[in-house]
Amino acid sequence: MSAEYLNTISENASRLGMRLQESFSEHTRELAITRGSSLYLEPDDKEKNVRKQLDSSSDREKLDAMKRLIALISKGRNVSEYFAQVVKNVASQNLELRKLVYIYLLRYAEHEPDLALLSINTFQKDLSDSNPLIRAMALRVLSGIKVPMIGSIVVLAIKKCAADMSPYVRKAAALAIPKCYDLDTSHLPALIGIISSLLRDRSPLSIGSVAVAFETVCPTRLDMLHQQYRRLCRVLVDVDEWGQINLLNLLLRYVRTMLPRPMEEEIDPDVKFLLTSAEPLFQSRNPAVVFAVTRVLYYAGPPSHHSRIVQPLLRLQHISKEVERVVLAYILAVSRTTPSLFSHFYPHFLLRTDDLRQVKQDKIKVLLLLANHDTHQAILREFIDYADDPDDEVVSDAVRAIGKCAHSMPDCTPQCLTALITMIKNHRDSVVSSAVLVLKYLVQAQLSSSSSSSFVAVAAAPQQSPLSIISSLARRIDDIRHAHARACVIWLVGQYSASSEVSTGPAGIVEWAPDLLRKSAKGFAAEPSLVKLQIITLAAKLLVLCPTDQTLSLIGGYVFSLAKYDLNYDVRDRARMMISLLSGIGLSEAVVPKDLKQDDRGSVVLRREQVRVVLFEGKFGVVDTQNDSDLNVALGSLGMITHKPMHGDSLLPDWLERGVESSLRDTEDDMPAPPPPTNFSSAPLPQKARSLASPVVLTPSGGSPSGGSKLQLTDLDKFYEEEDQDESDGDEGEEQEETSTTESSEDDSEDSDSEDRQGH
Amino acid sequence: MAIDGLIILDNTGRPIIQSGFRSKSIAYPLLHVDAFNNALPKSQRPGDIDPVIYVPPYSVADSPSACCHVECGDMRILCPVSGDVDPLFAFAFLQTFTDILREYFGALSAATLKDNFDVVYQLLEETLDSGGHPLTTSPNALRDIVLPPSLLSKLLSVAGANINSTINSGSSIGGPFSSPIPWRKAGLKYNSNEIYFDMEEQLKAIVNKHGTTLTSSVWGKIATNAKLSGTPDCLLTFTNSHVITDCAFHPCVRLQRWKRDRSLSFVPPDGHFTLAEYRFTPSTSATSARFMSAGATPVALSAKENIPIPFILKPTVELTESGVSFEFKLTSRMSSQALESLVAEMYLGEGAGALKCVASRDDGGNAWKGKSEASSVSATGSWSFDSKKMVVRWEIPVVPPSSVWKLQGSYTSTSAPRPAHALQVRFDIASYTFSALKVDQLKVTGEVYKPYKGVRGKASGNVEWRW
Repeated sequence: MSAEYLNTISENASRLGMRLQESFSEHTRELAITRGSSLYLEPDDKEKNVRKQLDSSSDREKLDAMKRLIALISKGRNVSEYFAQVVKNVASQNLELRKLVYIYLLRYAEHEPDLALLSINTFQKDLSDSNPLIRAMALRVLSGIKVPMIGSIVVLAIKKCAADMSPYVRKAAALAIPKCYDLDTSHLPALIGIISSLLRDRSPLSIGSVAVAFETVCPTRLDMLHQQYRRLCRVLVDVDEWGQINLLNLLLRYVRTMLPRPMEEEIDPDVKFLLTSAEPLFQSRNPAVVFAVTRVLYYAGPPSHHSRIVQPLLRLQHISKEVERVVLAYILAVSRTTPSLFSHFYPHFLLRTDDLRQVKQDKIKVLLLLANHDTHQAILREFIDYADDPDDEVVSDAVRAIGKCAHSMPDCTPQCLTALITMIKNHRDSVVSSAVLVLKYLVQAQLSSSSSSSFVAVAAAPQQSPLSIISSLARRIDDIRHAHARACVIWLVGQYSASSEVSTGPAGIVEWAPDLLRKSAKGFAAEPSLVKLQIITLAAKLLVLCPTDQTLSLIGGYVFSLAKYDLNYDVRDRARMMISLLSGIGLSEAVVPKDLKQDDRGSVVLRREQVRVVLFEGKFGVVDTQNDSDLNVALGSLGMITHKPMHGDSLLPDWLERGVESSLRDTEDDMPAPPPPTNFSSAPLPQKARSLASPVVLTPSGGSPSGGSKLQLTDLDKFYEEEDQDESDGDEGEEQEETSTTESSEDDSEDSDSEDRQGH
Repeated sequence: MAIDGLIILDNTGRPIIQSGFRSKSIAYPLLHVDAFNNALPKSQRPGDIDPVIYVPPYSVADSPSACCHVECGDMRILCPVSGDVDPLFAFAFLQTFTDILREYFGALSAATLKDNFDVVYQLLEETLDSGGHPLTTSPNALRDIVLPPSLLSKLLSVAGANINSTINSGSSIGGPFSSPIPWRKAGLKYNSNEIYFDMEEQLKAIVNKHGTTLTSSVWGKIATNAKLSGTPDCLLTFTNSHVITDCAFHPCVRLQRWKRDRSLSFVPPDGHFTLAEYRFTPSTSATSARFMSAGATPVALSAKENIPIPFILKPTVELTESGVSFEFKLTSRMSSQALESLVAEMYLGEGAGALKCVASRDDGGNAWKGKSEASSVSATGSWSFDSKKMVVRWEIPVVPPSSVWKLQGSYTSTSAPRPAHALQVRFDIASYTFSALKVDQLKVTGEVYKPYKGVRGKASGNVEWRW
């Protein structure tokens, strides 16, 4: 053995020496070691030479040409014209060259299927190469050629690779299945056969890709999983991280489709098994795995299990800004349904000034949901702080959150109102306008609710009765510059201007209203039309309340005549409507022109009380414009992040009423194992014993999760050793040496299966 | 779950490397590059851009998609996804991929990638299947398939004879996928066997304007560098493992062993890797917090869990109609160790300008002789203004125990000034850990040698101090 080894080394050395000599003498002037590959990216006229270089006999030339081609690809150039020359090199002995050729082929095989077909023999030959890398690459190229004609060849290739001894190649085989299915759906039965044989694969390395193939090719054939379900749960820990994600999603779908809904105290043992096997994966370093486990616990666990997702999700928040952004959206969705889960951890959601805007906004929403009678004081203080944020959108979200706090928690209404009223005095436009909008909503909500129980408490503080809020808003109208906010204040004043108290102003009107009308009439022309409309309405309302007052009629008439000739037709229309509406209540001519008054065309003229009803009680109900419409999407799907339909079908199936027979999932693995075979290594194993061979567990330690069954757990080393021994029967030589080295490096740590080892 | 592909953009927003988008139309990657380049200038503050950008469908028959992106050196890596894919999946893959690139090329920049684009393409092919499913992502396994660029390999490739890459070049060991453990290379040999553990901890805290800590947490990770021959089986035990919680482990760690006796049993990958990540829990209240006993009020809980901030900041800020004047006074609370490379930053808001500051050391003795060393930065600290990000930055290289530092300044603003109401303070403390997590011993079995072991701590902090 060692002689042979030495031989190859010396052979290589001499080959290297020869090559070095000839190439150095040939190319010393071109030695550009330090410049790296970037010189290929520079434009030059060497492109013409590529064809010649590819046809040359020297590997160096060919490599150079291939690098040039890859450089052109990365510049976005289409280099499919060289396909014929490149394909010829697919059988090259130089691994690096061959890999570059494969990269090229993987990109262009689709576009040049006819030429790719020419080399199909080479690919098929490569499927039997001794190097698993080459075998896998050949399969990847083969399945990438989009010619339906070769479908059956691809199926054969997949079948061959699915039985390969290297799990890497089996993985490639699994990933080729969806491509073959896309090519020609008529191969479905054959592909399903391959999938079901791959599902039985004992190595955890390829199982994740098999789950991918399953989901794309035959997602509805969950019945194929009955026999594998428990084993898949068991190997979950040992699957690679990307495979874990796919497998967890598949198993989640399986339990939702095949098992009864878990109730408290009464969880199907198979559901419980999935939950307990998935939970350790919370300790994965991969955020996507952690979230896949979260989905399993959230969608397959009973409500009592939901608290277990809290800590892992909080941990994910700290991984990176991007992950935080996504996880927050999920936490928000979870808290919408069960705010109690996270309410004790609200300090994790406090804003930092360097957070992304989206993160800040989501954090405010989460905090709002988490506010309860224990935490609302602290959270409210936070919201008030956030009103100082440099970002206007965050400010308006924070102010709105204060309003919602006041609405949902009567305890803190006074505090919220004080905060909002202070904000009106703020010098910042955005703060003022948001505060006004929120105040309007609050005042309206409280005045309109007849059983204003929450308001009884508030009324005690005279500063905060709704009317005093309105009056202070009216007095500050000059400071409120935001159009929407101004319109809001004017509407609010008009709506609640009726008063029975005796005041210095016109009878029946609160004292601040006429002054507001005066001020706004003065600046009418300069207002945006949104505000103009509200000024007209205000004038009409005041006139209805007190038609006799001379000054009011004059101001009202002034406003109406300005509005009648406004540039905006909405404003003109509103003015006309108000004038005719008011025509029946006996106003002075300053407001309603004579011709209209006397024009008795048989139209309906409303009496004062009727006009009042029309103007004041036309609108009902308090509408909160900010409504978070939530799409009906499952946790962990793109739609939840973008808030737009993404055309996926993420909806999970609902539980079955009873679930399918649990005995369907019983396998021989769950039965007590027969006595271990004595002749493990010498002869090919009988098929039955093979299927009973122990599953691979990367983490050898006591206590298999399956409970009482006598599973023989081995670690990966031993598993491979065993496999090698199997293979060495057919393939002596190379494998022998590998076996011996793994044996020597055997670890002697705690072995739960040492008796088993002695059986060898 | 699968992503659609990867696009690497240079700092001008032009794609330099992209994977093949085989199942999508040719316009698809361009659509995403455009969506990103359009969203970038719209961000209110530089870099403040939603990491997931919605990309509307190109035509009626198309379905909408989203563009996930991360910054990486002077580049951006975009990862288009569509359908029901969890964006976390995209970000997890992007993280893995950039880690691999770092492992291969060290510090990342557009220039390095251009220098090695053939290696990057090989890496792309090996880590990502054409259907968008990750393939081989363990750096150890990848190193067998794709050779890292080195002077030797460049020399050999120039000579046209790459001994390692010649197919069937002899020994069966060392070929790709010959290792029985997916994350560890087979047949490693070192002359001196060494393993180093770096406990890197970061304090994240928010302090309100009254100086009360609102939230604070310490997140740590054990960065490991293993140079061990053969297949060693390591067992790492801690004297005080109860101080850590919320752990995450490298796949090599046996989870059941950790669950049983809180010791780390693993066969390490070769080279640099992160063995574990954890959160420091300062008191025993961790368990009660986890099970949320109804009696304990959250305020009491959070107060108990607070970790002391190693400095005090006294901010005085005056806002006027057209400008701001401020004074920050920073006092170290450390008793023996110095805070190093301390950086405090504040966002000044749109339209800020004409910033004038004075940075000084404010405690008695040194201020006295300060005149002579006024020029040296280490004696006074320094400040700078980043006009692109609108950020004032105050830097102090070394803050000795209980020293006092001051930054005074003012600036004008074209509109009403709207600074961020907080200072972001970042600092390092060498050979220190907040948790005082202590390694008890490291046992290596399965190999005959005794490795050289090294453990060291490294703390850093990121504190937001509001005013």
